[in-house]
Amino acid sequence: MVLWVLIQREIKSFFISPTAYIVLFACAVIHGLNFAFWLEYMTSNNIKDFTLLQATVNSFFFWFLLLIQAPVLTMRSFAEENRSGTIEMILTAPVREWEVVLAKFVGALSFFSVLWLPLALDFLGLRLFWGHPLGSSGSMELLSLAMLLLLGSLFLAIGIFASCLTRSQMVAAILSFGAIFAIFSLSFVVYLGLIGQTRDLVTYFSFLDQMDTFSRGIFDSRPLVLTLSGTILFLFLTERVLQWRRLRS
Amino acid sequence: MITVENLTKDYAGFRAVQGISFSVQKGEIVGFLGPNGAGKTTTMRVLAGYLPPTGGRVAVAGHDIVAESLEARRHVGYMPENVPLYTDLRVNEYLAYRARLKGVKGRKVRERVEAVNRLCHLDDVKNKMIGNLSKGYRQRVGLADALVHEPDLLILDEPTIGLDPHQIRSVRDLIRSLGNRHTILLSSHILSEVEAVCTRVLILHRGRIEAADTPENLARLVRGGGGGVRLEVSCRSEEGQRELARLPDVESVNCRAEREGWSVFEIAPKTGKDIRDGIFSVVQQQNWRLREMSRLRASLEDIFVELTQD
Ligand SMILES: Nc1ncnc2c1ncn2[C@@H]1O[C@H](COP(=O)(O)OP(=O)(O)OP(=O)(O)O)[C@@H](O)[C@H]1O
Ligand SMILES: [Mg+2]
Repeated sequence: MVLWVLIQREIKSFFISPTAYIVLFACAVIHGLNFAFWLEYMTSNNIKDFTLLQATVNSFFFWFLLLIQAPVLTMRSFAEENRSGTIEMILTAPVREWEVVLAKFVGALSFFSVLWLPLALDFLGLRLFWGHPLGSSGSMELLSLAMLLLLGSLFLAIGIFASCLTRSQMVAAILSFGAIFAIFSLSFVVYLGLIGQTRDLVTYFSFLDQMDTFSRGIFDSRPLVLTLSGTILFLFLTERVLQWRRLRS
Repeated sequence: MITVENLTKDYAGFRAVQGISFSVQKGEIVGFLGPNGAGKTTTMRVLAGYLPPTGGRVAVAGHDIVAESLEARRHVGYMPENVPLYTDLRVNEYLAYRARLKGVKGRKVRERVEAVNRLCHLDDVKNKMIGNLSKGYRQRVGLADALVHEPDLLILDEPTIGLDPHQIRSVRDLIRSLGNRHTILLSSHILSEVEAVCTRVLILHRGRIEAADTPENLARLVRGGGGGVRLEVSCRSEEGQRELARLPDVESVNCRAEREGWSVFEIAPKTGKDIRDGIFSVVQQQNWRLREMSRLRASLEDIFVELTQD
């Protein structure tokens, strides 16, 4: 299966580089410190108003990592192939464009998941060894994890799209970070005192609120639809660009 | 194996290939020749399915390159101009990846990788990182890649560029031996190489085919190419020129050198005539002494320059 061959190559290309392990280590440390800080803060002050999970998903470092990871993970994907010319080798093999794009996406999402594994393990450990996860239930944690992966998918898809537009990794990273940060900023626009339909529209894009909702164990289908359709849209656009690259004349 | 009808290819308004037509039969080794910017790479990229044609029809192994692109690509082994490779893989890993990508399955993958390693003399470096290989070895990896799925058709864009003379010779021998099982289209600037390897030559200039024939026939095509004679005799240049030009079948007489009573002439016949006999009679009549009389053979280089000069 050609798709599987491509996916294997993508996953390998992430784990082959030593920087991958440095990034993984750095993320694990940041997650661990952030987690430990809130754990200590909440137990010593005996806080019951919100859960540790809520505190985590609303913390600065949680979003900092989430926003910065996608551009870093995807800036290479197509830009490097465009620069080195290996894209010509791929596209003259009997493979379809969408297979190439999907493989890039699956590879990036796999590595993204691994980067968040430490945080998941922090919560799992708390549950197993302390039996007392500071307020959050298993379903709250799973819903948060799902929302995290959905957001990750959307951001990675944006990153891959940006990467296929250029042959410079730097340009790709700046483009995708700009786009991702712009969407994320809508979370704060709500507080500008909007009313009526505009407010409804902006709330639809308020990832901060949606993450908070999920972490309280409340399922909302709107962010699911938004992130999934956004992901598909950007992967589709990437496939179009690859075809258009060839059809451009 | 390849049918190209009226192919055009535009780059942002600039027409790089201007309506060329040719075909390549199974078992042929065809050489693409042309000066820089002639459109060789562009044409090959279209044939390999990387760029779609702007106009015209291209079929490879009986499959249209646009409508049945995937099927067409299955039959092609393509080696691009600068041989882009993944530098972070080992030679073996890379070739295995490429084999599987091109549809080689299961246990055959290892077999094929070993076979092309042997064929392209890569055994010494098969466990090295591609990023650490010299240019020549990368070139061979590119060739091995093109061969790994046993394609019917090989498209090689300047396969010997950047190689040392030993490697050029070995790649040339390899290509010649591959000619038994594969149809090959290669491009090159090295005329002697094309002459030595190819059964047919296409000369491309500014996006058009200027000539297409066997190297020998092309030589005949050029003025003075067939049956030109070089002559060194003891006479003054004006005298020789006057006497030789009297021969009815002679097209032109050029004096190349005159020193110490000897002159060197290059004599071109009218198309298809043999003038050697006539020249000898003139030499006898004039009582010239004769030091050299030899045939001029137009090299592919002459043809190339002739056809592609502005
Ligand atoms: N991507 C591109 N965009 C615009 N023009 C291009 C592009 N690629 C090639 N060209 C132009 O098309 C023409 C043909 O180029 P091509 O690379 O096919 O020549 P070539 O015969 O392979 O030359 P060389 O012997 O130097 O490799 C050139 O004038 C070149 O400038
Ligand atoms: Mg070229």
